[in-house]
Amino acid sequence: MTPRDPSGVVAAAPAASRPRAAARRLEAGLWFAAPLVLLVLVWAAVVRFYHVPLRVFPAPADVAGALLQQARSGALAGHSWHSLRRVLVGTTLAVASSIPLGIAISTNRHVAALFTPILRFFSVLAGIAWIPLATLWFGYGFGAITFIIFNAVFFIVLYNTILGVTSIPQVLRDAARSLGANRWQVLTEVLLPGALPNIVTGIRTGMGFAWRGLIAAEIIATNAGLGYMLFLARDFYRTEVIVLGMILIGAIWVLLDRLILAPIERRTIERWGLTRAVA
Amino acid sequence: MMPLRRWLRRLLTYPAVQGAGPFVLLVALWAVVVQLEIYPRTFFPGPQDVLRSFVNLVYKGVLPTYLQDSVTRLAVGAGAGICVGIPLGLLIGLHPASYRFFWPLIIFFQAIGDIAWLPILLIWFGFTLTTMTFVIVYTVIFPMIFNTALGVRTVPVEMIRAAQSLGASRWRVLVEVLLPGALPNVITGLRNGLGYGWRALIAAEIIVGTSGIGFMMFDARRSGSVVEMILGMILLGILWYVVDAWILRPAERATIERWGLVRQTP
Repeated sequence: MTPRDPSGVVAAAPAASRPRAAARRLEAGLWFAAPLVLLVLVWAAVVRFYHVPLRVFPAPADVAGALLQQARSGALAGHSWHSLRRVLVGTTLAVASSIPLGIAISTNRHVAALFTPILRFFSVLAGIAWIPLATLWFGYGFGAITFIIFNAVFFIVLYNTILGVTSIPQVLRDAARSLGANRWQVLTEVLLPGALPNIVTGIRTGMGFAWRGLIAAEIIATNAGLGYMLFLARDFYRTEVIVLGMILIGAIWVLLDRLILAPIERRTIERWGLTRAVA
Repeated sequence: MMPLRRWLRRLLTYPAVQGAGPFVLLVALWAVVVQLEIYPRTFFPGPQDVLRSFVNLVYKGVLPTYLQDSVTRLAVGAGAGICVGIPLGLLIGLHPASYRFFWPLIIFFQAIGDIAWLPILLIWFGFTLTTMTFVIVYTVIFPMIFNTALGVRTVPVEMIRAAQSLGASRWRVLVEVLLPGALPNVITGLRNGLGYGWRALIAAEIIVGTSGIGFMMFDARRSGSVVEMILGMILLGILWYVVDAWILRPAERATIERWGLVRQTP
């Protein structure tokens, strides 16, 4: 917490002030929403007074109309579901395979040193650069896109897992060993919790790249999903659908990142801070 | 036997060997897998094919031109990001009212992935250079603003008060306390921005498709030439490695060491 931000004190206050904390949270939410509302108003005014044609940029009302129409026809839910499912499947596969592999690699320092430069190389390539090759190997569709998501998350999480495990002070492992922990206990009680902040940061970064990669891949290589919806709308100059898609892509990512990934990251880092203090 | 081992050990201490060694192994492994012909050669070409294609494309002059196009675009994006992003970030970080107003907007616009802008940009500007420049500048600017503002706001208030009580003017507080304090975050912003910008550039080159490494790769996709795709990927990786090792990392090391000093003072 920064010295300027006293909210840490508020959070630690007794339960009696909980309604006040809720009110404060509501106020913060309103302050957050106000500029966005203002932006929409300015947008509406500009489109109206300058007579911007729909082919160039839609008015908020057009976008709302597109939202209603797409929601009613079920296209919107379909495209969002396709996109989200790809991200979920790709990310789950990547996380489930990269964490064990990362820990296995990093138990030997020389093996870890061998792999790190290669992994850095591949985590740079992650995602979009694989699109041409992935479409050739898997054809256009679910396989290629899931591969790209998998790829974007896998290498970054693997790299971060190794980084996390190798940065755990040797003292902690020795302490656990000398207290009689067996290898399994060292793994679950020292290595995994110690590497967790890095792993979670890796997942968050990887998903950030994966989400953008997904949109690009859907534009290029599929016939469903939010990216496809955008690009299809471009063919018909339907700017209101494009803007709707952009807002949705932004909103889904903000929700995913701020409501799920960021709190998890904060909590694991707080935990790491505790572990550090003990060391 | 002994001198050889000592010689090997000495060889391993060179950073270049440490960095390149794993890649030599990887390429060797790749060559072996290709020789075994597990996958058909057309889908999975060997290192020698890629090297031959590299020499061929350099000889024809295609590759240097494309490489130059990509790098120029990235440099323009980075330049614009630094020139516009840092001042805006400073303004937003220093002025509480504008922070309140702009912060939600920045979070929102940062979340609309760069690539999502492509369809509407294509309507506005067509398949032109403007579209690509817009995408990359957009992608670099937002992480820069975001992180600069964050950096300025996380400078401990004691440091500002200390400087003020020693008689520093507002300008000197800005130049000697806030800017150096925010520098590590600014560098982080540049790294994130370039990382995203890099990928956006590849995507834009694939979709807009006029020139550049991304275009070369997708053009190869159309003609089914896996060799050129792999060549493109390797070039992208090496290029980023160079940017990272020669520009970002030294900057990061310098600023974070400096920050460490600043942190220890209070």
